Amino acid sequence: MSAVLAAAAAEVSTGEAIAFWVLGPVALAGALGMIFARNAVHSALWLVLTMLSLGVMYMVQQAPFLGFVQIIVYTGAVMMLFLFVLMLVGRDSSDSVVEVLRGQRLWATVLGIGIAGLIVGAVSRSLTDVPVENLQQQNAGGANVNNLGKSIFTEYLFPFELTSALLITAAMGAMVLGYLNRHEKGMKRTQKELVEARFRGEYERPSPLPGPGVFATANSVATPALLPDGSVAPESLSRLIDSTASETFSDEIKSVAGTEPGPDAHALTPSTKDTSTTDTKNTEDTEETR
Amino acid sequence: MVSTLWSNAVALAQQPPSPVQPIQPPSGPSELGSYLPIVILFVLAAAFAIFSVLLGPMVGPQRKNRAKTEAYECGIEPSPQPVIGGGRVPVAYYLTAMLFILFDIEMVFLYPFAVSADALGLFGLVEIFLFIATVGFAYAYVWRRGGLDWN
Amino acid sequence: MTRAELLADDPLWLILIKAVVLLLIGPLMTMFMVIFERKVVAWMQHRPGPNRVGPWGLLQSIADAIKLPFKEQIIPTTADRKVYFLAPIVSVIPSFLAFSVIPFGPQVSIFGEQTVLQLVDLPVGALVILACSSLGVYGIVLAGWASGSAYPLLGGLRSAAQVISYEIAMGLSIVGVILYSHSLSTGDIVDAQRDGWYFYLLIPSFVIYLISMVGETNRAPFDLPEAESELVGGFHTEYSSMKFAMFFLAEYTNMVIVSMFATTLFLGGYMAPWPISLIGDNYLNTGWWPVLWFMGKTMLLLFVFVWLRGTLPRMRYDQFMRLGWKVLVPVSLVWIVVIAGIRAFRNEPNISTSQILVFGGVALLVLIAVAMLIPDKRARAEDEYLVPVTGGGHPVPPLDLEVPKPPKRRSLSEAKVARKPAAVPAGQSTSDTPDKESE
Repeated sequence: MSAVLAAAAAEVSTGEAIAFWVLGPVALAGALGMIFARNAVHSALWLVLTMLSLGVMYMVQQAPFLGFVQIIVYTGAVMMLFLFVLMLVGRDSSDSVVEVLRGQRLWATVLGIGIAGLIVGAVSRSLTDVPVENLQQQNAGGANVNNLGKSIFTEYLFPFELTSALLITAAMGAMVLGYLNRHEKGMKRTQKELVEARFRGEYERPSPLPGPGVFATANSVATPALLPDGSVAPESLSRLIDSTASETFSDEIKSVAGTEPGPDAHALTPSTKDTSTTDTKNTEDTEETR
Repeated sequence: MVSTLWSNAVALAQQPPSPVQPIQPPSGPSELGSYLPIVILFVLAAAFAIFSVLLGPMVGPQRKNRAKTEAYECGIEPSPQPVIGGGRVPVAYYLTAMLFILFDIEMVFLYPFAVSADALGLFGLVEIFLFIATVGFAYAYVWRRGGLDWN
Repeated sequence: MTRAELLADDPLWLILIKAVVLLLIGPLMTMFMVIFERKVVAWMQHRPGPNRVGPWGLLQSIADAIKLPFKEQIIPTTADRKVYFLAPIVSVIPSFLAFSVIPFGPQVSIFGEQTVLQLVDLPVGALVILACSSLGVYGIVLAGWASGSAYPLLGGLRSAAQVISYEIAMGLSIVGVILYSHSLSTGDIVDAQRDGWYFYLLIPSFVIYLISMVGETNRAPFDLPEAESELVGGFHTEYSSMKFAMFFLAEYTNMVIVSMFATTLFLGGYMAPWPISLIGDNYLNTGWWPVLWFMGKTMLLLFVFVWLRGTLPRMRYDQFMRLGWKVLVPVSLVWIVVIAGIRAFRNEPNISTSQILVFGGVALLVLIAVAMLIPDKRARAEDEYLVPVTGGGHPVPPLDLEVPKPPKRRSLSEAKVARKPAAVPAGQSTSDTPDKESE
């Protein structure tokens, strides 16, 4: 197999040709899918496909480090940021038809044509003027990364240090855009503050409520848990379940006994004073009736 | 002193690949060929994964009802507007992802440095220190503004 | 011949055999890990563990594996079906691909063909594993999102944020190893450890890697995405049948991968441990023996995973993120600068000791200045209104507390009364604590 590959290594090897004709359409399909997908997250996924095939193409073109960095940084980090942002907005939020930026279409067209012109220029120049280099000698013995390191840190030192300035800008931009001052008043407490407040007694109890005794004695969440001394732990019951059952029951009792109260003047407005009989107080009821 | 270091480093970088390397036989391993096993493994793994995912509906029972296919919310009625639809995800995730990009890029630059660190010598050390310090500055800023705090 | 040349000479049938074996390692190790984990945790908790299927319950995971495809698969109506199908596949494939660069052993002969026990030896081998783990995150995020349900989405986001945070620490801890081995190729990294394994030469890197590998694989005590009490099952709540099995497989395969990677990076890979390496002029370091050492070291790390799970309680999310971003990342950066500095000064021939001291002093000053920049904890400002937990409003038992006697066992009739279901007709109460339901 390697013999076949080596034999064709003169201009473009068979392997490279195959890889190109597989990856090229895939990358293109990803790009088209990104544009035509209705759903924003689907768009992002198509873009991931494009990025991946680009990464593999770099590897095919004798740049393994660059290829994997493309996968790690672009598909791994940048697209993950995109996905997070899309989820921030929400899946079903449909595209707004109203144009917020005035003349946006015009400028988009102009700039789009400009970029297309630049790309065509660059590609045509690279097809004619740029000499084709075979990096096999340079990469021999796994020296790809080593040579890359040497040239980044000597020849291309200035662009490299500029990158760090770019990174600072990115971090500060993210902070300014996404920053919430959590320590101002009215903000939610942090988990730590909440825990301390619980132990200081600002809340009713420091721990979560005990679970119901489902598996202990019965098969129903309406069964209360038992405390170590054998007494009932009323707070172990969900208020929701507890009150629903008992409410229905008491209503039924009333309707059978005929003591159901008729509609009064306030029947159509939400009751305010009568809440103590319905849901919230059942936990205490149990103790007292026992 | 820095200038001598610089010239040393440039001289180092411009050296042709060391003479040990041409052990490469003329019809030696093509670089492309070394990826072939990964491609084969990828195809096998993909076939395995797709087969497994398709296996479930083929051999498993199909007894659907409305309650089963509803989104799981601990037995209560699913909220009419799930988090995905109208809800929002905390913005802290965005910050984390942004910081991740920042450090990912830093990490990626550190690898070639680490490989050729000995060849670069002191000059490389100064460079990488400057780089880490600059990113460290951004990091300290984010820390100070509370961007690393979660609640 | 070098590793790469040996591997490049592999005929196609050998590559196929290796690929199939690598493909089998994932599921087999997963099945083994399930029973291993359950047995070990049970042993730590004085329980028998699974003991019904097969001798000592050893066939339990086979039973589980057979059961899963025959479960009904339920797709929630809210799900985005295409992505819902894609997510388990996306999460499994990268975890299998990562095996390709792991060196299991040195040169051996398989059916007369000289080769190395490794699928490929790329010059950027370590990056392959990092790339695979960063692709695996997609499975988690997409699963959470595609389910169209609240818990999975939150679990998926948490998971993703966690994995990417710890991936940074993991990637930085590797830099130390590369500084010493001068190569990103996994085979070269193992070879470079002939004179000494990196786990003691680079202790800080090793510790950071160990912590971040547990965080990266979402395992206890960092298993927040699956916090049952908060998020049900995390990102795979809505998955069932084989699709759930795929996530399970990916999680356990990732555990195996990071353990094998740790073995390669820090524990000398397939090389025989010290006392054994002395036997017979290092005979046990040739042929197929090294596979045994490699798997032994991997198992040791996998045992650590189980051990942690059996020992430590789950961390709070903010503590966890703080550990990742505020401890592991800065520590690894400082450590990288330190070792890079040590190496650079040691290799520089024309630098005298006094110059090293001057440089060291300057570096120290800069470090102190940076340390000054790091903000103090805000606790100082809060101290004014912070009530000490032990002395404040919360009931803390007094030092002279008399422990009340345990209540006597009730008679049966009394106990029956006590166990009466608590659902009582409402409206009979004269309750006095109106805000019982503050939680």
